[in-house]
Amino acid sequence: MKKVSNRVKSSLSGLLVPFISIVLTLIVASIIVLLLGKNPIEVFLGFLRGSGMALKPRYGGGQGMLTDFFSYLSILTPMIFASLGVMLGMRAGLFNIGVAGQMLLPGFLASVIVGYSDLPSYLAWPLIIIIGLVVGGALGALIGFFKHRFNIHEVVTSIMLNYIISYITGFFINTYFADTVTRNSRPVKEASRLLIAGQTGGGIRFDFPVGLIVALIAVFLMRFLLERMTVGFRINAVGLNKYCARYAGINVGGNVVLAMAMSGTLAGLAGVTYYLGFANNMVPKVLVSLGYDSIAVAVLGNVAPVGCLFASILVTIFQKGSIYMSSNVGVPQDIASVITGILLMFSASGQYIEETLQRLGRASRSKRGSKTDPDQAKA
Amino acid sequence: MNIDKIMTDGLAFALPLFIMAIGGIYSERSGVTMLSIEGFQGFGAFVGAITVVILRTAMGASPDWLIYIATLAAVLGGMLLALLNALMVIKLKSKMTIAGVVINILAVALTSFLSSVITGAVTGQATTKIQLSVAPRYTIPGLSKIPVIGGLFQNIYPFAFIIIVVAALAWYVLYKTRYGLRLRAGGDNPHSLDAAGVDVNKLRFSAVVLAGGFAGLGGMAFTYTVANFSPASYVGYGYLSIAALIFGNWNISTTFWTSMFFGFSRSFSDQLVNELGLSSNYSDLFSVMPYVLTLIVLIFFSKHNRPPRALGEHFDKGKR
Repeated sequence: MKKVSNRVKSSLSGLLVPFISIVLTLIVASIIVLLLGKNPIEVFLGFLRGSGMALKPRYGGGQGMLTDFFSYLSILTPMIFASLGVMLGMRAGLFNIGVAGQMLLPGFLASVIVGYSDLPSYLAWPLIIIIGLVVGGALGALIGFFKHRFNIHEVVTSIMLNYIISYITGFFINTYFADTVTRNSRPVKEASRLLIAGQTGGGIRFDFPVGLIVALIAVFLMRFLLERMTVGFRINAVGLNKYCARYAGINVGGNVVLAMAMSGTLAGLAGVTYYLGFANNMVPKVLVSLGYDSIAVAVLGNVAPVGCLFASILVTIFQKGSIYMSSNVGVPQDIASVITGILLMFSASGQYIEETLQRLGRASRSKRGSKTDPDQAKA
Repeated sequence: MNIDKIMTDGLAFALPLFIMAIGGIYSERSGVTMLSIEGFQGFGAFVGAITVVILRTAMGASPDWLIYIATLAAVLGGMLLALLNALMVIKLKSKMTIAGVVINILAVALTSFLSSVITGAVTGQATTKIQLSVAPRYTIPGLSKIPVIGGLFQNIYPFAFIIIVVAALAWYVLYKTRYGLRLRAGGDNPHSLDAAGVDVNKLRFSAVVLAGGFAGLGGMAFTYTVANFSPASYVGYGYLSIAALIFGNWNISTTFWTSMFFGFSRSFSDQLVNELGLSSNYSDLFSVMPYVLTLIVLIFFSKHNRPPRALGEHFDKGKR
């Protein structure tokens, strides 16, 4: 019985702390907006409108709220994959800070191998997904292997790999694949974009992101893996206490490599869905900020698969809606990153928020107790 | 090949990297994992640059000593952000690695947000790029004529002198004073330090804030080598300095040599591209060199690396 009630309580506090973080963030963001002399409600409405969750005052021909919403979903997809990748690493006690690089290399290879070819969609899509899985997984495994075999911290390896990948892909884009006007890489062919383009609903055009289905499957697969499978149990055990795990006969090094490889796999999927589903081209030598924001999302989502899904939904609203909000309300677009940063700051202080809540709870309990007990009140 | 140029550019890159790495050493030897050097250096440089813009507009002139005001402002700016980092890590007990990422994200976001708000208000132009004056450079007569290493004494930035003095001071404080001894104990055995009556958390707090100051100085020096500041100035030198200090085994004198190694390998690869007459695209390919070298070197050396024993753990009096 006690175990059950504990479980209910922990899941409640698991929801309460992110909720408080979000409320605090909204308060701080509102203060910043007020200091700039703008109306915070207008700003937040602007974010929602830009993400297709509230009606804009007017739309162009054939466009509507649904168009914006599906465009929002196509950037939500890589965010879910990336945050799942960070989450899985954290479960094994690893900090995968290199998601951006693990997105760029698979995205680059998929663009070059499949994106510029004339393959039809039914061949291109699976190939792109496989490239994402294999290349991302290989990068992750390399980082895990360096940690296991050579005792090099995963943060150092992934940062070094980020630079190496961004310079080398930058070189190839500039030299062979650059668009003569934009200096970015040439956009990938229509057929190889991970979108079912040109759908209409009620006379409104929208593109359906194929990757979203894979992302939702990944969320539940990760949940099943971590909660119900031996592999997941081992990864959790290694993350909680690697000495204890070793004593219990778990191969710590092997699981570190495995967890990092899976983390890289998810990052690779994030990369292909970003570069071939949302952006459709690459800016040379630029690592997307989504790779770093996903760390915020994973922490906000309580390092759990379903939490990552909901946190992605929230954070993506700020990122996607900022362009519309900025051009209509006049607050610089960068406020989206400021809000993400503040959100991350509060959710990283989750333990302190929890302790404060407990302290307040104890204080209010003893206060109530003192009312019924006059002796204690006197003392 | 132009050896003088390799020497001059290498030193101009290595010294700011070295002072930033010293900041990292202070923080990590006291027991606080430091990933936010990148954020400190960028935010510090931003505060320095924005101070220059404000003073320049207020005075209507830009005298040479503005550089030193900018440097001071950068140090304070770095410390300000470090204060937030220390608060998160020590008071709010966030995980140290995550706090580092938070600070880096916040630094980039705040810089681009504030620079578009402030430069717009001060100069009336909506740009995030801040143009600075070109720093004066000095050549030491006599020494600069020595063959091969003469380049080290040519065209030196004023920051080089400041950094050398500050670094020497930092070395003295860390290894020769009581404060330094306690700081080093903070990362290896905080409980014995606590038993000796020292407030471990206060000590770590001061170390992180000092790290912010060192990083701010390094950031301003980097900014003056290109004479302008923009949010795109976050190019990862902070992370490189962390690699330098790990490679240098958390030791100031060893880290000096690893920083020099990074600096000269970089200027050497730049000169190599020039010498071979390759197009500028190829410089990207050669820019990879320091990072690849770091990985290769770490493969051989990190077995012998000994990070501070209590690195990354929050100090908890009740725990033994």
